[in-house]
Amino acid sequence: MNLGGVVFLGRRYLGRNRVKTALLVAAFTLVWLLPAGIALVVAKVESHLRVRAEGTPLLLGQAGSPLELVFNGLYFTKPAIATLRHGETEAISESGLGTVVPLYARYAAANHRIVGTTLDYFDFRGLRIGEGRGLINLGECVVGAAVGEANGIAPGDSIISTPETLFDLSGVYPLKMRVVGVLEASGTPDDAAIFVDLKTAWIIEGLGHGHEEAAKLGDEAKLEDLSGAGDGTVRLNASVVEYNEVTEETVDAFHFHGDTSDYPVTAAIVIPTSAKGQAILKGRYEEAGGLQLVSPGAEMGELFATVFSIQDLVLRLLGVIGMATLAIGSLVFLLSNRLRRGEFRHLRHLGADPGTLRTLIAFEAGFVLAASLLLAGAGLCVLQVVAPILMRQWLV
Amino acid sequence: MIRCKQLRFAYPGDAFELCIEEFSVAVGEAVALVGPSGCGKTTLMNLISALLVPQSGSILVGGAEVCRYPLPARQHFRLGKIGLVPQNFELLDYLTVRENILLPFRLGAGSGVDGRARERCDELAGKSGISEHLGKYPDQLSQGERQRAALCRGLVTAAPLILADEPTGNLDPGNQDRIVSLLLEEARRIGSTVLMITHDPVLLPRFDRVVDALALRKGGVS
Repeated sequence: MNLGGVVFLGRRYLGRNRVKTALLVAAFTLVWLLPAGIALVVAKVESHLRVRAEGTPLLLGQAGSPLELVFNGLYFTKPAIATLRHGETEAISESGLGTVVPLYARYAAANHRIVGTTLDYFDFRGLRIGEGRGLINLGECVVGAAVGEANGIAPGDSIISTPETLFDLSGVYPLKMRVVGVLEASGTPDDAAIFVDLKTAWIIEGLGHGHEEAAKLGDEAKLEDLSGAGDGTVRLNASVVEYNEVTEETVDAFHFHGDTSDYPVTAAIVIPTSAKGQAILKGRYEEAGGLQLVSPGAEMGELFATVFSIQDLVLRLLGVIGMATLAIGSLVFLLSNRLRRGEFRHLRHLGADPGTLRTLIAFEAGFVLAASLLLAGAGLCVLQVVAPILMRQWLV
Repeated sequence: MIRCKQLRFAYPGDAFELCIEEFSVAVGEAVALVGPSGCGKTTLMNLISALLVPQSGSILVGGAEVCRYPLPARQHFRLGKIGLVPQNFELLDYLTVRENILLPFRLGAGSGVDGRARERCDELAGKSGISEHLGKYPDQLSQGERQRAALCRGLVTAAPLILADEPTGNLDPGNQDRIVSLLLEEARRIGSTVLMITHDPVLLPRFDRVVDALALRKGGVS
């Protein structure tokens, strides 16, 4: 039989038994795709997380889980971590041992994290304004490229922070922020974040606020001094209008009570001025009970050592499952060929030689293998493209 | 066309032995091979088609001792010189009736599936009354239609020798007559020799000669 005849018969057999063929191809595709896909995704996630972690020398935060601190400080997740005093970050700056970039990543607008920070953050991460300008005034925000693209936000638009407790009337009111700039895409979690000045973040927290000037209000807005202290303090009732947007008219009404050194930040990036400075800082915070100074690269290394050991186990299990699947697939082929014994005998009687029949069986088996490998390859290509998108959605 | 002399064949490990002193079929002759089950009719047919090789003796088909040929040449011989019509249709269920009829060409007979082969297929399908079924699969046909399709496949290459192993065994009398008529008429038209195994005495008068396989084994020549 010529090869054309073999291909014809093989093609017709597989086509006529398409359900069986499709099931075999699907099973074999999974055998190839699952381990390769897992390895690919893990490698992508690792490189994605490691690059940012290794680009961040040190991260200061409240004592607790170092990984949670890293995820909050680098990827703006884990918003509920314990905070540290802003004064702690100021202390490092004043010591001259390093530059400190405070971060307050607790609140959100829709699905995007609002990150309160300083202008140093943009320089440190190499973030550039693609449209509009940078932060200058209180109440302004700069959005990441993905935020702008996904929501059609451009300079001049506004974003309202998501209230934390919707039905808590005494709680923090949402703040309407003016968008003054959109960052260029960086392929990092910064693309999905909304950046505001640290003080704006504190206003969202309710630590700073703006309201009608007490001296200009009538008596109906004032509370009676029941304490009888007579210290001249004016107490206002709930009828006083509290501003939920910082504008040119209301900016002067915004103020902060107390010492801003006591205000919270969730993390602070520390860039030591020298190796010596880094050693001193690390030593200092090893001894300090309440705070931790971690190296994100090392933390990610530990995390991925665990991930890789789990991955190794999963791949071994998949290997066993794959071998079982291949064995079952081979059994299906063998049983199928046994059922076709009459057909092969007749083909031999007609004039097909045993070698041709072996070629026919090999063609059918080869087709299933090749189709599954092709599909697995296509699946890997799709994963290659989709993995970064999924990572942006799930990880950052 | 066929000439067997002092033929001896035995299956390994089996008591059965086929010994034929002499047996011949002339070119263009239509011979019915009769005899009880197990007397060696199919074995003789397999020896003539070079599927089996005798332990001793000779089989000349068209003047050539094919069973002494190497395997590839024997396969080539079968494809080119023999039209096979089996008892149980042996149609491939994943091919349409047309593809089944043209199967010998796919396996290497003639110059492959070309216009002439398709014309021949259509012609035979028309004569056997299965033209409207050419696009169907075997499981969509009746027994009689399947046997007619198998007969068309045996005749499609216009082989000089047609070996039919009880092609009417599973059919009703009407279909039996139709199949044998078509087989013999088409064989006469193209000048093929026919050797057909049958158990049906009603069909025997249609053949030029009837050979009793049992008598053949005992050395007789019918």
